[in-house]
Amino acid sequence: MRFTLIKNIKKDKSLKPMLNGLFIFMLLFLVADILVKESGFGVSSNQVNITLFGDEENYIDPLSKSLFLEHIHTETFFMMMLLLTLCAVFNRLHQEKRYALLYTNIVMLSALLSILSLGLSYFYSELFISVYIFSFFLWHGFAIFILSSSLWRLNYAKKL
Amino acid sequence: MQKNYNISIFYFLLFSLLLLLSGILLFEENIGLNISAISEYYLGNEEKFIPKKSIYGVLKISLPHIFAFGVFIMVLLHFLLFTHHKDTKELQLLIWLSFISAFFELFSPLLILQGFTLFAPLKLLSFILMELSLVYAIYLLFNSFMGDSKTANS
Repeated sequence: MRFTLIKNIKKDKSLKPMLNGLFIFMLLFLVADILVKESGFGVSSNQVNITLFGDEENYIDPLSKSLFLEHIHTETFFMMMLLLTLCAVFNRLHQEKRYALLYTNIVMLSALLSILSLGLSYFYSELFISVYIFSFFLWHGFAIFILSSSLWRLNYAKKL
Repeated sequence: MQKNYNISIFYFLLFSLLLLLSGILLFEENIGLNISAISEYYLGNEEKFIPKKSIYGVLKISLPHIFAFGVFIMVLLHFLLFTHHKDTKELQLLIWLSFISAFFELFSPLLILQGFTLFAPLKLLSFILMELSLVYAIYLLFNSFMGDSKTANS
């Protein structure tokens, strides 16, 4: 978190490439996460429904409670670590910008909603699956936008 | 600026609560929150068709947790350094309690597998202590950061 203390990140020969590397790896993680979910857990209501509750016609078993909890547990961990780091750097690079707070709230709230709605889909009602899909794409989309904006600001903005 | 950081930390704390809750549910679902269930889970029970766990199997589950526990506890507790709890005995105790209970939570199953069944209560106790110490840290952080934002707004 040293980037929060350095006055001019753009002129710091070590920190600037480090942050660029971090942003690129985070972008790759987010894109890979969508691709992996697309081929496994599902990114459409129908796919997620089949993963969670199975499909008798195609002999697909429902997801066990244990595996579902494992999924939620690991997702939460990766999500919280990624978003904390992302928002800390974003807020450092967008100091004094009013929209920074708004974007932080949107990305964090949608990520929280995606975890909660997935839990509600499994334990309460499958109607929450569409909320999960919406919030999943919202937080991924906003996180990618925040990362792209931070990359631009770090490399091309005249003043920080 | 400070407000933005506090908001990020506030959400991090909410995620932390979800992580702890899912951890408790997972423990309850897979192992069980009582001593006999813990012994049965690791040592097996022929009558209930529960197979004995191998050291390799236990290590496979522990491996990602060793890193994740270390990082999570450090990140969570280091936020207390930015509050009035910095340099207090309470924080020192919380640091030691969290890391030591996490250590025994991870490695007591290896001793249970060696036949030391008395470590089953230690596994349960360390899990409960770890959860309680982390929930207490989250409570202190909520109090501190919410207090700060109230002061900043007034």
